[in-house]
Amino acid sequence: MNRRRFMRRAAGAGLALGAGLPSLCGRLAARGAGPNLSRVEARYYRKLPDREIECRLCPRVCRLGDKERGYCGVRENIGGTYYTLVYGKVCSLNIDPIEKKPFFHVLPGTPALSLATAGCNVNCKFCQNWEISQVRPEQVEAYDLAPETAAVRAEEAGCPSIAYTYTEPTVFFEYMYDTAVRAKRKGIRNVVVTGGHINAEPLGDLLSVVDAVKIDLKGFSQEFYSQYVRGELKPVLEAIRTVAKSKVWLEIVYLVIPTLNDRMDLIREMAKWVRREAGEHVPVHFSRFHPMYLVKNLPPTPLSTLESARRTALEEGLRFVYIGNVPGHGGESTYCPGCGGVAIERVGYSIESVRIKKGKCERCGTPIPGIWA
Amino acid sequence: MAASRVVIVKSGNVWTANDTPDPAVMTRMYARGFSLLTGERDDAVAVSSLFRPDDRVGIKVNTIGGRAISTRPEVALPLAGWLGRNGLREKNLFIWDRTTRELRDAGYATSAGRSGVKVFGTDTDGVGYEPDLVSHLNVGSLFSKIQTEFVTASISLAILKDHGLAGITAGLKNYFGAIHNPNKYHDFRCNPFVAEVFDAPPVKTRHRLTVLDALVVQFHKGPSYHSRWAAKYGGLVLSLDPVAADSVGWTIIEELRAAAGLPTLKDEGRAPEYLATAEKMGLGRARPASIETIEETVA
Repeated sequence: MNRRRFMRRAAGAGLALGAGLPSLCGRLAARGAGPNLSRVEARYYRKLPDREIECRLCPRVCRLGDKERGYCGVRENIGGTYYTLVYGKVCSLNIDPIEKKPFFHVLPGTPALSLATAGCNVNCKFCQNWEISQVRPEQVEAYDLAPETAAVRAEEAGCPSIAYTYTEPTVFFEYMYDTAVRAKRKGIRNVVVTGGHINAEPLGDLLSVVDAVKIDLKGFSQEFYSQYVRGELKPVLEAIRTVAKSKVWLEIVYLVIPTLNDRMDLIREMAKWVRREAGEHVPVHFSRFHPMYLVKNLPPTPLSTLESARRTALEEGLRFVYIGNVPGHGGESTYCPGCGGVAIERVGYSIESVRIKKGKCERCGTPIPGIWA
Repeated sequence: MAASRVVIVKSGNVWTANDTPDPAVMTRMYARGFSLLTGERDDAVAVSSLFRPDDRVGIKVNTIGGRAISTRPEVALPLAGWLGRNGLREKNLFIWDRTTRELRDAGYATSAGRSGVKVFGTDTDGVGYEPDLVSHLNVGSLFSKIQTEFVTASISLAILKDHGLAGITAGLKNYFGAIHNPNKYHDFRCNPFVAEVFDAPPVKTRHRLTVLDALVVQFHKGPSYHSRWAAKYGGLVLSLDPVAADSVGWTIIEELRAAAGLPTLKDEGRAPEYLATAEKMGLGRARPASIETIEETVA
């Protein structure tokens, strides 16, 4: 709507000054008074003198005065108490194949109730979901979905898992945690898709209620994280270590962006690091980049680059290395590290066949780790 | 090259018995400030030297601090009224900020009727942000349609405050309220982001004038209000040079800090370095030596 149309509409709707003012106020209140925002006290913060607070949810450790919001834009200091503004305020809710997250070793071929609120604690210049992640909660439509209701919805829809995804679940930690607790009681699994910018204490608590975590490792140099992610690499690596040491299933995605993070020496270094610190069994997905958000001047990742990355990681001893965002490519399937046969055949998000029984290759009996049932 | 002129207008009579700014005194302060700034004695001529008669003028206020420490309605409305009596059409004047809630919390009555001065937030139904990102240097943001579509000229009518991260918040940083994602631009003490948001075409092509509401200045522990560190300075700071205006604002804050026995912002490691960046980008003058400051008191 342009200015002229707005002014016409304002007048036409009885919004002119005088008689129309009360109804105008009502309309403005509907958008401006914050009915779209929750006010649930946040966890992981410290109160400071002079009504200041220090957020301890993520490595940014935002220190905020009264009426200020953190970098994420969804947590606000109101009078010296810190609140999450997005508790139960879901801006995206879908039923997706779990392969879309992607999780390739978790309940293959099943749907996941997938949800997000607004917000993110980094600002990747190549964000694929920036319309909901890089905005404040007032700027997107949101549904009210209480944690218990989310669990019921998943159950009713026949989803064996709930995925916290699309934006950055860390910034809606309280809602994610409470939903996961309720889902778990119903026997529904919880899977998290995150950039891994989260402090140790909340991560530890999260790992007690979820089943799988996929971490986006967006590059393997601090320079890249500073310039294109506006974040830190070190805490992400620490999060990967922590999840790997826990009983929670871990997968890693590396979005390969032409010229920015596609150097094979860095990818080799990354693969070595994953093998050493997380384990050879951790699946690593090399995903194709598509121009988006603030990086529109680069082409999609050439297939040859993705294949090189996969080959490099396999050479370094990783057992399950995938190619993502290239439907129909052989690199989407799971191969048994014992016999080399196809254990799970995928085409895009579809599962063509599963040859895993009780966690082992049907042909040779080699264990294939994951959550299979 | 001539120095950038910054005008400080003060009045000992600005506060009413209710401790609110007196609109009549504010009007006199604007009249004198515009005259000193433009060199024109006649109010209408002074206005016409900055705006075309058919300009739609946005008066961007900063209301994030609530009633206690925002651009006050008693400061914004007299400006709009005075402009309306001196060549601009009231219906073409827009007092605005990010949200209607913040405007109301700061004491504004919102209105968007066909006639008269309009007061509303970007979040008003039918307004919102442009759908297309503006990618400019290190900034990638959606700009308020009020800034891009509704207005043809812009005044940054900012509150002058200390800012824990940026050092100070004044006229330049006020335009963070014109983008959808200001929370993403507080790293590195907001440098270079404050300068780069201002430099983006939706702001730079429309900005005409900076006015700092320095009636009460939060000189420490800002941007939140703390009465202990808020001083009644009783002035307006006006300039056509947005960087010079903020630079003088910084000086005022340092003077108030020194009077209170506080260290300088530099000593606290939070000098507003974005001002030097803005100067390097050619947006104005930051160094005191290249600024001509004129201070006057009106009755």
